[in-house]
Amino acid sequence: MIEVENLSKTFKVYHHRKGFFGSFVNLFSRKHRIVEAVDNVSFSIKRGEVVGYLGPNGAGKSTTLKMLTGILVPTSGSVRVNGYIPHRQRKENAKHIGVVFGQRSHLWFDLPVQESFELLQRIYRIPQVQYNQNVEMFDGLLNIGEFFRTPVRQLSLGQRMRADIAAALLHDPEVLFLDEPTIGLDVVAKARIRQFIQQINTERQVTVVLTTHDLDDVEKLCKRVILIDKARLCFDGELAALRRLLSTERILSVDYAETYSDISIPNAHVTYREGNRVQYQFSPEEISTADLIGAILQRFKIVDISVQDPDIEELIKTVYEDNRALEQKLTETTAIDLTNRDT
Amino acid sequence: MRPLSLTFNVYFAFVRKSFQRRMQYRVANLAGLTTNFFFLLVHIFVYTAFYAASTEPQPLSLNEIVTYFVLCQVSFMLMPFWGARSEVTQAIKDGSVALQLTKPVDFHAYWFSDECGRACYFLLMRGCPTFLISILFFEVTIPQQFTVFMAFAVSMVLAIFMSAAITITIFSSAFWTLDTSGVSGMSGSVIMLFSGMLVPIALWPEWLAHIAEWLPFAGLIDVPFSIYLGKITGVAIWMAIGKQLMWYLIFIGLGRFFLHRGFSRLVIQGG
Repeated sequence: MIEVENLSKTFKVYHHRKGFFGSFVNLFSRKHRIVEAVDNVSFSIKRGEVVGYLGPNGAGKSTTLKMLTGILVPTSGSVRVNGYIPHRQRKENAKHIGVVFGQRSHLWFDLPVQESFELLQRIYRIPQVQYNQNVEMFDGLLNIGEFFRTPVRQLSLGQRMRADIAAALLHDPEVLFLDEPTIGLDVVAKARIRQFIQQINTERQVTVVLTTHDLDDVEKLCKRVILIDKARLCFDGELAALRRLLSTERILSVDYAETYSDISIPNAHVTYREGNRVQYQFSPEEISTADLIGAILQRFKIVDISVQDPDIEELIKTVYEDNRALEQKLTETTAIDLTNRDT
Repeated sequence: MRPLSLTFNVYFAFVRKSFQRRMQYRVANLAGLTTNFFFLLVHIFVYTAFYAASTEPQPLSLNEIVTYFVLCQVSFMLMPFWGARSEVTQAIKDGSVALQLTKPVDFHAYWFSDECGRACYFLLMRGCPTFLISILFFEVTIPQQFTVFMAFAVSMVLAIFMSAAITITIFSSAFWTLDTSGVSGMSGSVIMLFSGMLVPIALWPEWLAHIAEWLPFAGLIDVPFSIYLGKITGVAIWMAIGKQLMWYLIFIGLGRFFLHRGFSRLVIQGG
């Protein structure tokens, strides 16, 4: 469905000289440096997948998305979406994809939502039956009806986003690109949009590529994640695998019934203590969760106990902070795999 | 290839929606109408004073001058004096215009339709009221021959098409300059002068009128209104309309070329 091979994009960034005199010099000679926005990225996405394309600001997420949607021409490498080369076959590609950029509306600002939809119906030549069915379905799922006659400029952010996502799906695209679809939305609106994306994906087999900074989005929607950092791909695989790979450390929180002076447990160290609440950090390789709880129950009276998986936010932060550690871990695991295979 | 009728259908929808969008700003329109009359009065007073002070025969009678300026105000908003409209230049400036590339439409045709919708709106909501009110207060000549009226209608439509094509050519400069206020301001004043909006070309010194003849802009104002006033007749009408058509096609070509170059620049260099 989507094939990306050795994709790179470089930009020229002009260097502006400082000061009054410098601004005159700028008129005649401009220095520039080359910035790599996307560097040799390859991946392939199959029909019906929901993929989270993640990375910190400026990592190259949007640049990649723009190359997939035909807005930017790659410097090198190849892109294919539905078999089309987006920047060469822009109009053909456009008929088969839906695009939502969370920061910007694709609807006509001063027209009611319905009028925008009707324009889109004409643009994509959507047959009336299909159009009616889709509008009805999106109304059911996203409650578009309640603001169908309202001009887009008067919509709340949540309503606008619902309208925008529905608009991107009116022509039954095979692939949906979402760039930060839940940015700035409240919890309820986010949940609604996530549910909708999920439903569209399962019912219609729409392939979804999603960039976001909201890791709840990722957790709720994406089985697979692709991480990029500083223009390079640094992880591509299942979210669960990423978690396993990195989540060696876990956290156990305990509320003790009494105040104990010595609360140390072998193989677990206290990271937080306030009153009777204590948090232990431990590594499942050294002590299993069950053993740790057992050891605690043996010695102390407790009120409450809970184990936390590390936040995926934390995980991703570690990836960004220490790319090398991840690479090392990846090679280690493959090494272990190999040794296992030998025996 | 999709059938031509369907393609037309899409862009006709753009024209309609463009019209509809503007229908929402009725108060602004009323304020604009007042401005039209303000300028109309200024023009009429100035020319009445000039004509009173001169005994020499003039190429246009005072009545014809008044009619000319009424027509100028009727079509004022349809003309490319405004340069680039902010919504489009803003989108080009911040690169978000690229998002439109995700839709399967031809941009030049899209913006052209939008401009036509805008022209229809201002013709109906500004032009017509201006004309009707003017008839009540001033002596406005109305062509007596049907053929003259038809020729004027054709020439006026071409003037509107030219205006749309010129506007797109102007705002596509935003791809390079980022700030179009300079280009808009400059082109606006040049076009206003050479279209005959300020002084009918019939009153110009000969050498300047020659320059105007070689420029496209007379086709916006002076040509259709001279036809209306019966100052251009017979074969000359065909010549004048042919020239408008030629300039219209040239600006369509230029606009398409600039937009194409602008977008390729955008997609290669990024926003």
